[in-house]
Amino acid sequence: MKFVKYIAVLFIGVLASSCSDFLDPKPNSASTSNNYYTTLAELESALIGAYDAIQGDGSYDRDENHGVQYEFYITEMRSGNSSTKIADADDFSDSGQFESFSVLATNGIVANYYDSFYQVIFRANVVLENLGNVSEDTSAIEAEAKFIRAYAYFNLVRLFGDIPLVDHVLTASETDTQFIRVDKNLVYDLIISDLETAKDGLDNTYKTRASKAAAQGLLAKAYLSIENPEYLKAQILCESIINSQEFDLVNFYDVFYSELNDEIIFAIGYQTIDDSQNFSAQWMNAVGRSSGLNYATYDLVGDLDLYGGDRTQFTYRQDPIHLTSVRYQCAKYFPDGDDGGDTGEFTGNPELAGNDWIVLRYADILLLYAEAIMAGGQETNNAAALNAFQLVRNRAGLTDVVTNLTKEELLLERRVELAFENHRLFDLVRFGEAETTLSAYSELNGFGYTTSDLLLPMPQNEVNLSNGLMSQNPGY
Amino acid sequence: MKNINRIKKQVKNKLVGALLIVACITTIACDPTIDSLAFDLPDANSQEDLTPPAAAFTASVTADYLTYTFANESTSATTYAWDFGDGNSSTSVDGLNTYPDEGTYTVTLTASDALGAVNTYTAEVVVEEPEAPPVLDPTLVNADFVKLPKSSGSDCACAAWINKSIGDQGESSSGNGSDVLKFDNNEPDAIYQEFEVVPNANYLITVVSSFKSLESGGLYPSELELRILAGTGYTDGYTPVYYTDTVDFPQGNSDSGFWGYTSIAQVEDEANNLLIRVEDNPSDTSYLSYQYSFNSGANTSVALFMRGLGGPATGGAGGDFGYNSGDEEIRTDSIVITALD
Repeated sequence: MKFVKYIAVLFIGVLASSCSDFLDPKPNSASTSNNYYTTLAELESALIGAYDAIQGDGSYDRDENHGVQYEFYITEMRSGNSSTKIADADDFSDSGQFESFSVLATNGIVANYYDSFYQVIFRANVVLENLGNVSEDTSAIEAEAKFIRAYAYFNLVRLFGDIPLVDHVLTASETDTQFIRVDKNLVYDLIISDLETAKDGLDNTYKTRASKAAAQGLLAKAYLSIENPEYLKAQILCESIINSQEFDLVNFYDVFYSELNDEIIFAIGYQTIDDSQNFSAQWMNAVGRSSGLNYATYDLVGDLDLYGGDRTQFTYRQDPIHLTSVRYQCAKYFPDGDDGGDTGEFTGNPELAGNDWIVLRYADILLLYAEAIMAGGQETNNAAALNAFQLVRNRAGLTDVVTNLTKEELLLERRVELAFENHRLFDLVRFGEAETTLSAYSELNGFGYTTSDLLLPMPQNEVNLSNGLMSQNPGY
Repeated sequence: MKNINRIKKQVKNKLVGALLIVACITTIACDPTIDSLAFDLPDANSQEDLTPPAAAFTASVTADYLTYTFANESTSATTYAWDFGDGNSSTSVDGLNTYPDEGTYTVTLTASDALGAVNTYTAEVVVEEPEAPPVLDPTLVNADFVKLPKSSGSDCACAAWINKSIGDQGESSSGNGSDVLKFDNNEPDAIYQEFEVVPNANYLITVVSSFKSLESGGLYPSELELRILAGTGYTDGYTPVYYTDTVDFPQGNSDSGFWGYTSIAQVEDEANNLLIRVEDNPSDTSYLSYQYSFNSGANTSVALFMRGLGGPATGGAGGDFGYNSGDEEIRTDSIVITALD
């Protein structure tokens, strides 16, 4: 009987204590998604995470997202500007498909970029979703997160066309949203409204984070890229960047090797060793895993030699190690500025390079400004447009006075000014010249370009997972 | 030994027999004339073509207005036949055609798959030489400063030119054989009118004005300032309305409605000015022509603003706007703006 009493007391004791916090502990050594994001500092760390997703992983691990480090494959190497060093069978597995316009839906690089940028969007959405949990003024954080989201969508919509539009953190039941492709005009609507918010909520404090000028510049480009371009709005945006007088053209070599210089409006920052990238190494001769990537095509070298002026010497060089044929390498992103000399021996580790990736720079804005004023016409003699164009030419030592500017000349100037900076493909499409230029280039080189190659395939993996919800682009 | 020979013979016979049968079967099997073995598509029980071709394309004009590119957007097709509608045709995937002349052409794309299923898509292409839209001369209302009715108050040469947020209205007077507008001495008289322009176009302004004789020994000789103010500098949310009748024009106050410029600070913000010109008293009282040109920049709307300057900032005879005309009256007879492009 005595034991029964003890048992009863113990039982009641357990009952009483079972509802206390003791059995429902909040971890105090770690943060959870429910109790995180309650201060500005925590939101900001989530923002940094989104930038981290853009940076991507600097390794060769195919399971990691490589973010913007893989962008050259799907833009520059698909534009007639660059190719693999030698189109060998190994490279043709994935990276060699781009230069010949024979990309397969199963291409791992395409899938990696797609994953990376939806990861960026997810991380930006997490920030936006948690704005309400912070009592302080979050407008600057909101502006920055929206800039990042718009940047990611702008890249994706230009590469894939219609894409899934995810503007919040998806719950487990929203499986459709991640696969159903929506009209690209709706994607552009979100890009434009995000960038409008961003430009009003930001200042020009940073160059490797979102800024007012970066939002203005990206928005101007978006306005020029939509189906019915808003030339006037783009012109006004470029004008306000120019009139801010916070940016300037610098010595062409310094644009790339003196980081955060006056010309840079927005760059993805990297640090040697600690927070590094390996695309610089991949573009050298057999330094990375490949024998050499993003080598200049003879077509690009031809234009640079004729029209590049002082820029040419800082844009490409002949590969000093490759002796069986004459091949040209990109000179804008030598790993930490070390070109490896004639022997290809680098002082540091070229695979842990710290070169920032430039997204927007002032010369791009000046040329966009002329493009906006041209407003879809074939030529202009508008003084403001000519003046902006002349500034870019003068820096390259091409000081002959320009009195009339044609669309063709502007497109060519963009090619030689911005070679290897992943603009060419988008420029060709925006100028309506992709079809004629790329089919002529393809024919000359025996490649199989057709119009459907202007859009990448939706990654086959996504199509398969979608259970029939995701359609494939034509031609794949 | 006998046994072995018999076995050999038997085996040989059977082998020959087997060979004959195989030969027969092979011959028969490969003869398509035998009905029962004929290729049985597309008769009953055959596999259906679940993905028949669907033809589609988009036409885009190139830099040369006669040349079009055709982007093939067909699905499930392997061969293509283009009929460009002008007698030209092609069998390549994408189309490229240069038309002989302007006109409407019917383009047909026939897409077929390996099973012979066919689909066609037809669209019309209108080939037209693009015309650069002519830049029209802007329309100014009451540009000759005739006495006309206003939204309130008596008729005035200043009708359609009033913005009371940034200056007093000009006054009616006569001269040069007609009504003229007067910028009184020692007053903040100003005129303001918004008008429509084509972006990035050049315009020529011709103003006919006369200054009263320079006051000898005067401390404050009058100046006449003209500004072209950018529509991008209008107050947020303001949309310009181009009135044609002088009685409809607001006067820049809460009674009649405000214009896109509502303060002198806004007017004097350098970023809002496409043109600023100041004329000194020429010591010649006749009506002189002053010409200026401006480029409309990124604007579809701009405002013309003129005022007398030269006097002390405050203490004039009119309202307090931080500026006043100098010692002499100035009269303006007309303003003409023409497109230069």
